[in-house]
Amino acid sequence: MIMEYVWLVPLVPLLCFVISGFFGNKTPQGGGYIAISGALIAFIISVLVSYEYLTGDLYANNLPYVQDVQWLVIGGYEINFGVYIDSLACVMMLFSSLISMLIFVYSLGYMNDQGVKKRRYFAEVSLFLTGMLGLVISSNYLEMFVFWEIMGLCSYLLIGFWSFQHPDGDDASVNASSAAKKAFLVTRMGDVCLMSGLFILLYLFQSLDYTVVFDASTIATVQAENSGLLTAAVLLIFGGVIGKSAQFPLHDWLPDAMAGPTTVSALIHAATMVKAGVYLTARSYPIFIQSADVMLLVAIIGGVTAIFAASMALNNMNIKRVLAYSTISQLGYMILALGAGGYLMAIGIETGNGELITLGVMGYIAGIFHMINHAFFKGLLFLGSGSVIHSCGTEDMRLMGGLHKKMKITSITMLLGSLSIAGFPLFSGFWSKDMVLEAAFGPYANGLGAGSWFCLLFILGIITAFMTAFYMFRMWFMTFAGEEHESSKHAHGESSKSMTAPLCVLSVFAVFSGFLILFGLGDVISETLKVTYESLFMSLHVEVHSGTEIAREIFTNVWTYIAIALALIGIGIAYLMYAKKSINPGKFNKNGEGMLYKVLAKRYYFPQLYNQIAWKAGYEVARGVDFIDRNVIDGTVNGLSNAVVGSADVVSKAQTGYVRNYAGFVVVGVMVLSAVLAALFYVMGGI
Amino acid sequence: MIPIEFFLVFAAILFVIGLYGMLTSKKSLVILMCIELMLNAANINFITFSAYGMGTMGEVFVIMSIAVAAAEVAVGIALVLNVYKVKKTTDVDELTSMRW
Repeated sequence: MIMEYVWLVPLVPLLCFVISGFFGNKTPQGGGYIAISGALIAFIISVLVSYEYLTGDLYANNLPYVQDVQWLVIGGYEINFGVYIDSLACVMMLFSSLISMLIFVYSLGYMNDQGVKKRRYFAEVSLFLTGMLGLVISSNYLEMFVFWEIMGLCSYLLIGFWSFQHPDGDDASVNASSAAKKAFLVTRMGDVCLMSGLFILLYLFQSLDYTVVFDASTIATVQAENSGLLTAAVLLIFGGVIGKSAQFPLHDWLPDAMAGPTTVSALIHAATMVKAGVYLTARSYPIFIQSADVMLLVAIIGGVTAIFAASMALNNMNIKRVLAYSTISQLGYMILALGAGGYLMAIGIETGNGELITLGVMGYIAGIFHMINHAFFKGLLFLGSGSVIHSCGTEDMRLMGGLHKKMKITSITMLLGSLSIAGFPLFSGFWSKDMVLEAAFGPYANGLGAGSWFCLLFILGIITAFMTAFYMFRMWFMTFAGEEHESSKHAHGESSKSMTAPLCVLSVFAVFSGFLILFGLGDVISETLKVTYESLFMSLHVEVHSGTEIAREIFTNVWTYIAIALALIGIGIAYLMYAKKSINPGKFNKNGEGMLYKVLAKRYYFPQLYNQIAWKAGYEVARGVDFIDRNVIDGTVNGLSNAVVGSADVVSKAQTGYVRNYAGFVVVGVMVLSAVLAALFYVMGGI
Repeated sequence: MIPIEFFLVFAAILFVIGLYGMLTSKKSLVILMCIELMLNAANINFITFSAYGMGTMGEVFVIMSIAVAAAEVAVGIALVLNVYKVKKTTDVDELTSMRW
């Protein structure tokens, strides 16, 4: 029924992009209402489609809904364009469109003073949403890649939104344009990997359709014949994920991307863009789990990213950058959960152990579940920080403080978001974070080969949880508690209704979305895996844990209480340092002179590393290319034209202008011709 | 009957005279006349073959070629006249402005 119209989900925002792009300035709010209604329609259709799918026969039989038209035929390869709806796609499009809609509503207030540039803003965010929604419902990898790139383009355009005219002057606009370039180029590294991975996949499976690639028997055949190439393809696809989801070592574009408007940051971090990488990992799970070693690598990248990014958030003074690092860190959690779950599943499938597969599926669920929760609380936190910035006119937390009295709604909603991300019991982050940590602990608990690695990753995860609690509350106390500083004295109070309303809606989700896991969200998410492995799951009795079982596991696990205690300690230290001021943070970093402090403030010298690579390697490559361009390519063209001109000069000398010469040539020519003919006659013996 | 070779040799001599005159003379009018000579040598060949039993096609051709030659001479002389008006000479070695 409505399912046949699911292609409208990305198409409506696309239409809004066209309409607000062309006629935005003729409508109120520069096309803002058009963008909002587009997102709203997309959300409504997503809800209807999800309802129909989750209550229908297809879901009951663990089948996806697929609708294809032929797009390209290249040689023997057939590329389709269509939709592929399973529970993962449903979940993704629901939260993407909902959060995007809330962000668009918020943008009405936040971008209110931007005048005619609002048209550009609302057109681009609509296209951004198109990219995300198209990505999640794509029916094959190539189509997915097209939308993936649309998002890359939109992130470039939106991060550089203030590159022409920044309210803070020229430095900020240079900053914005270089941040946009950095985001584009760094994610490009990943995209090149992803594309080469897709080429290998096309070669292996003769198709890029999800229905073909995720077919258990096809995978088994390919794995048996070409396991090395399949591993290479998976690693390359994961390279794309590293770029898009800002994982170590391609993480550095995300903090710089804070140069864009705060709403764009919220969009990138909560609803779109960085979620695409996690989505791709989750979507490609059936081929990812063919190799346990790859999944170990995935988990290591995730775990390292989590603590690496969290450490940089500890001493940052920029309210948006703290949130950016926390996003990278939380993305690391998701990748860690997916990696650990995949490792368990890979080993489980290899040894035919149903227990391990069940644990692996729980890890998968944890990763997706954390992504959903993160979308809500990170959207909330970013919009809250936007509200603060809008009011104070600065992003430096040292200039804020005491804003609680002036901005009650923002302050309280951000407190809820911070509690959630810190993993305070019963808030949404608590559930998913504990599930993630449990998944990371799984391989060690079951004594698998790489158990010690996972034990290490688990410890890193626990430390990250402590750090998260600390830096989030450091941010909250510095912003809202204590005495007022320079900027907060001039702050013009609470933001407008269009900005606070989305905050309230999001805070409800940020607090309560964790309870979804108690009401069967796990079953819904795991359906995506059952599409591929239904028969295997049946034969090995893999049953996803029910909500009560998950809750029991969480509350009977000693690590949960340790994590809670660490989170509370983190909050407590932040309180003592930044609200009560009984501990001077300067004591630990020698007032900003400490070695570690400097390394963190310099972001582990990663920007310098990028620059060195870009300058040393990139510049030399560019010089080589320039040399080839000037000498080989231009040389060929110039040489060719010189040869033509020169030879024409020589040949033109034959035109003497003496009529008798011409006549002589004609006579000689005729004579030669006659001689040839006579010779031919002689040789051939007559006509 | 006169053997056919007589006519053919005669035509060949005529042709060579015309060719020699065209290649050696500097005077435009002489060159034009030499071309006429070569043309008529060819005409004689046509007529000869026609008369010696190869059908009437040769005669038809000759009538055609005489008509065309008349027109050609008219154009040629008009050109020479106009060149003379401009350059005050008809010497072909002087008329070399159309080269490179």
